[in-house]
Amino acid sequence: MAPRHLIIGGGTAGMNAIRTIREEETERSAITLVSAEKPYSRMVLPYYLDRSIAESHVFTATARVLRDWNVTTHLGKRATALDTNANVCTLDDGTRVEYDDCLIATGSSAVRAPVPGADGPGVHSFWTLDQARGVLAQIQPGSHVVMIGAGFIAFTILNSILSLGAKLTIVEVAPRILPRMIDDTGAGLVQSWLEQHGVAVRTGAKLTQIDEVKNRRRLKMAAGGDLVADVVIMATGIRTNLEWLKTSGVKINQGIVVDERLRSSAPNVYAAGDVAEGRDLITQANAVHAIEPTAQEHGRVAGANMAGKDVRYRGSLIINIVEVCHLDVASFGAWDDAKAETASGVKADRPAYRRLLWRGDRLIGAIILGPSSDIWTTNDVGMLKGLVQSGVALGSWKAHLKKNPFDIKLAFIATKTTGSLLPETILGRPSKAPGETPVAV
Amino acid sequence: MRVLRIHPEKCTGCLRCELACSYMQTGEYQPAKSVIRVSPFEGHTSYAPYTCTQCAEGWCMTACPVGAITISAVGAKEVQDDRCVGCKLCAIACPFGTMFYDPFKCNLCGGAPACAEACPTAAITYEDVETADWLGDFARERTARVLAEAR
Repeated sequence: MAPRHLIIGGGTAGMNAIRTIREEETERSAITLVSAEKPYSRMVLPYYLDRSIAESHVFTATARVLRDWNVTTHLGKRATALDTNANVCTLDDGTRVEYDDCLIATGSSAVRAPVPGADGPGVHSFWTLDQARGVLAQIQPGSHVVMIGAGFIAFTILNSILSLGAKLTIVEVAPRILPRMIDDTGAGLVQSWLEQHGVAVRTGAKLTQIDEVKNRRRLKMAAGGDLVADVVIMATGIRTNLEWLKTSGVKINQGIVVDERLRSSAPNVYAAGDVAEGRDLITQANAVHAIEPTAQEHGRVAGANMAGKDVRYRGSLIINIVEVCHLDVASFGAWDDAKAETASGVKADRPAYRRLLWRGDRLIGAIILGPSSDIWTTNDVGMLKGLVQSGVALGSWKAHLKKNPFDIKLAFIATKTTGSLLPETILGRPSKAPGETPVAV
Repeated sequence: MRVLRIHPEKCTGCLRCELACSYMQTGEYQPAKSVIRVSPFEGHTSYAPYTCTQCAEGWCMTACPVGAITISAVGAKEVQDDRCVGCKLCAIACPFGTMFYDPFKCNLCGGAPACAEACPTAAITYEDVETADWLGDFARERTARVLAEAR
């Protein structure tokens, strides 16, 4: 009988796994997808919010594509239990799906600040397509939008909110914005930039209650200075969707603990993306990296192994990039490692900042910030990623970079980083292009 | 597959490749919009152009959340403008720093690269060779003075 693969979750990790199974398998398998939502890309929702793309553009696999890929689907249903002894997954409508191996890729959900009124009318999360529709329907030109939380998710939709003609106030409980993405210096530069672009920012500000007043929202702040908003968006973090696995017997730490083949403690159960606690490329310890690039790579590696290949994953690298009002902000790897040796530089005439972190003569993390219009900002972003990803020995270039933290390109080229990166592929072979039906057999 | 082979020792720093590239990619002579960039070495005593290697992994392509980067008929990783939403994940995923923004990347001009055509010294050729680190050895030689200053 053909192997039966079960993919639980239709997000980035799950869809990459399905595609890779079809690319790699040597015997045509049966693939079943269970997904609470139709497969779409979360990364694209900000562009749906600012109306630069139609809703149809967000979907990563339409019903037709899934049919072309020969995938049996259970859409609109949630997995509620996994029996790893019987190899059966139970869904919320009672359906039982048997499998030979399965991938857990159930992602995460938005969490709201635990204050009275947080679930009231006019208070939104921005995480799922449904929630994006809700926000889009509420924002009008001139609306006052208050964003609770100034993390990565909040920052992905700042441009969209402004381009809809809304007034924006950002409230962050931590002493700085983007607290898990950049340091104090970087956050200060971004905050000034936002204020210059008409965004009000309150840091170290704790929300205590939300009340409905004449169809608007009054936000009570612990230190006083209440805010009145038309729309409140709670971008106060995410929680991985793991509760349903309590009785599964799969080993869970911060996430499902996986090995270098993305296999959990149950040998025929894989995990990928936000729910997986896999190897961190820099520390080589296990960690949850709830970011899009990790979900992609996890999904592909898990898919290849499920298809019978032996593919080992080197580990994931934390990478984040946002662009706000034409300012690029990015960080990599161990950007906040307090024990690392560091160098940094700020340009006097514009918001441009580099922070580099070393272990020995290898770059282990970086923060980069600069106007998108600066010719080298975008290229430096990539080269910093390359230096961190390759772990190339910088030798005497380390001293040069400590004196000249903006001179990334010269160090990148002269240390032959290109040569050390070129042979590297995630699956041990050239990648295939999307857009074609991947059929190996 | 044919790729852009760079012969850095032949580059005079005339920047014609940047002009030709920007014109081909955007219809304007605007080096800031070129996806090949010439770098100076050793206080502008030598130069070398730098662009996409068309690497095997295609980090930009696999990172794209909407499948907007595909492989063209001539084997180049190519951005489909009507699919791209502008999220910049490709720019952070490409470890070579050869994703730009507007336009994003080298697509080998569909098989007739304008930079190679424009180069008066054949420092850029379009050849059927395996892609490689064309600049590493050259840059290592031409940066001794910069490194000596850092010490």
